[in-house]
Amino acid sequence: MVDTLRDKVAIVTGAGRGIGRGVAKLMAEEGAKVVVVDPGVNVDGTGADQSIADSVVAEITQAGGTAVACQESVVTMSGGERIVQTAVDNYGKLDIVVTCAGILRDRMIFNMSEQEWDDVIAVHLKGTFTVVKNACILFRQQRSGRVITFSSQSGLVGNSGQANYGAAKSGIAGFTKVVAKDMGRYGVTANSIAPRASTRMIGAIPDSAQELRARSGVASLSEGNELDQLDPDGIAPFICYLATDFASNVNGQTFLVYGDTVSLMSQPRPTESIYTSSGHWDMDELSELARNYLTKDIYNPAPAT
Amino acid sequence: MADLLKDKVAIITGSGRGIGRGIAMLMAEQGAKVVVVDPGVNVDGTGADNSLAGGVVGEIQQAGGEATACLESVATMDGGERIVQTAVDNYGKLDIVVTCAGILRDRMIFNMSEQEWDDVIAVHLKGTFSVVKNACILFRQQRSGRIITFTSVSGLYGNSGQANYGAAKDGIAGLTRVLARDMGRYGVTSNSISPGAATRMTGTVPEEARTLRAARGIGGSTGSAPRLRGEGDDIAPMVTWLASDEAAHVNGHVFHLTEGLVSLMNNPEPVKTIHKETRWTVEELAKVFPATIGLELFNPAPVQAPSQ
Repeated sequence: MVDTLRDKVAIVTGAGRGIGRGVAKLMAEEGAKVVVVDPGVNVDGTGADQSIADSVVAEITQAGGTAVACQESVVTMSGGERIVQTAVDNYGKLDIVVTCAGILRDRMIFNMSEQEWDDVIAVHLKGTFTVVKNACILFRQQRSGRVITFSSQSGLVGNSGQANYGAAKSGIAGFTKVVAKDMGRYGVTANSIAPRASTRMIGAIPDSAQELRARSGVASLSEGNELDQLDPDGIAPFICYLATDFASNVNGQTFLVYGDTVSLMSQPRPTESIYTSSGHWDMDELSELARNYLTKDIYNPAPAT
Repeated sequence: MADLLKDKVAIITGSGRGIGRGIAMLMAEQGAKVVVVDPGVNVDGTGADNSLAGGVVGEIQQAGGEATACLESVATMDGGERIVQTAVDNYGKLDIVVTCAGILRDRMIFNMSEQEWDDVIAVHLKGTFSVVKNACILFRQQRSGRIITFTSVSGLYGNSGQANYGAAKDGIAGLTRVLARDMGRYGVTSNSISPGAATRMTGTVPEEARTLRAARGIGGSTGSAPRLRGEGDDIAPMVTWLASDEAAHVNGHVFHLTEGLVSLMNNPEPVKTIHKETRWTVEELAKVFPATIGLELFNPAPVQAPSQ
C-alpha cells in the first residue's frame, strides 16, 4: 500500500515488544527492510527469550514485508558492530537506525546500588552509542542516514526514583544533539523522541512508588491511569516520518510523542537573568539579586515536608 | 560578610584547578570547611599530581580558612564513599556537595573509541552519582543538604566532537532533575550549573577545530573562544549562594553562569504541537509537519557538498 520508506534498510533495537515493535512493523509496511534487534530480556535486563525477535519478524513477513531477527545485545561495542553488520550482510546497506532498547531498575537515589546504576546506563546510553557510532561510519561514507534515539520525560523533566534512567535518557538527548552536529554536514539527521505510551516498562513502576510520590507531594509525570490509554503503536508514524527523505532537514531536535500527538520540545534558553556590570560578583550583591529577583517565584517540584 | 556558609561542611570534586578551585576558595572564605577533592589528573584523565589538592588547601589555610585534601577518584563507588567519609572523619558532618570533576576526550562520533566514551562517562556521570548517592544517605537522615552538579552547553545544545562529553553532561542535568524530586521532601536541594568559563578544559579545544566548525556553518555554543572570557572564579559566587540557607527554595533547576551573568534556564517543554483524532499516517505527517512544527525549524548543521 505505502512506500515512504521503499528500499530503505532500518535497524530497530528493542523491537521485540512495545514501541520498538510498532516502529519495526510500520517501517516494514512502509517498504523498509528491517533488522529486528531484541535479545528478549525482561524489563530489568535479566533472562533472554530468543523467540521474541523471531516472532516480530514472522508478523512482518506474513504481512508481506521483509525483516530479519538479531539477538545481539547493544551493551558492547562488538554487539553494536554485529547489529550494523547484520543489516549490511542481509540487505547490503543501512539507512536508518532507531534505538528503543532499554531496561528499568527504579530505586530512590539513597538506596540505588552500583549495579542498578551501571546496568541502566549500559543498556540505554552506551547501547545507543554502540549502534549509532557503528552506523555513523557507514552514514558518513554514503553521505546519508537517519538516527532516531529515545529520550524520556523522566530525564527531560525528572521522575522520582529514576536517577539512573533519568540520567541515561537525558544523556541520550545530549548525545543526539552532538551527533546532529557531527553528522549533519554529511546529510545525516539525528533526532530524539520522548514517548509516552502504555508498555510493559510502565507496568514495571510499582504502584507503591507512584503512591509514595503522590502522598509526599512530589510532582509526577502523569495523572492517574492516563498512560494506560496510550497505544505504543501510536509512536510509530512519526518515527517513520523522521526516517523518510521528506524529513531531511529535521535535525538535532527532541520530540514528545504520545497517542496521536506530536510536540516539538523547546531548546534550552535563559528565562530570567541577573547581571553585574563589573563582571565580578560581590557576594552580597549576588545574594540580594538572586533572592529577590532571579529565584523569587521559582518552581520547586518537591518542597520539603 | 564572610559567613554565608558558617559551620557548613562542603565537598568540592575537581577543585585542584579551574572552576572547582574557585568554588573551594570562596566557600572557605564564606566560612565553610572544605574537602578539596582532586587526584590531579591531566585533562584527558591520565597521570596523577598528588600535590594539586594540597596546594589549594595550603592557599585556603593561608587565607585563614579550613580545608583538607582528598586524592580519591570519583569514578568508583568506593571512591565516592571515601570522599564523603573524609568530610565526616575530619569535620563530623556534610552539608554541601559540588561535583566539578571532569575530563575531556573529544572525537567525532564515527572515530570515537570505546575507551574515549567509557572514560568520559565514568568520570562525569558515574563520578557525579558515586559522590551524590553517598552524600544523599547522610542528607536524608539529617533532612538537609545541597547538591550542585555541573552540566554544560555541550550537552544542552550539543557541540560537535563531544558525543561522550555531551551525553555525560546532559545526563548530569537529567540526574539532577531526578535528585531534586527524590530528595526535595527531605529538605535537600539539587541544581545544576552550565558554566561558561575559560579553563584548561576549554583550552584543549583546538583553535583549528573552532575555525573549521565556523567555516562549515556548524553551530556551536562554545564554538568560538572569545565568548569564553570568564575566569573560573566567576562561577563561584552563584554556586556558593545556592549552597547557602538562603537558597532553600531553589530546587531542580539549571543555571548558566558566565562573566557576571547568571541565567535561569527553562526546563524542556513542548513548544509546538500537532494532534489528530485518529492515527496519523506517514504521508499525512509528511504534509502537515513541514507546514506546522517544521516551519522555521533550525538545522544546526545543514548538509554540505563534499570537499574537493
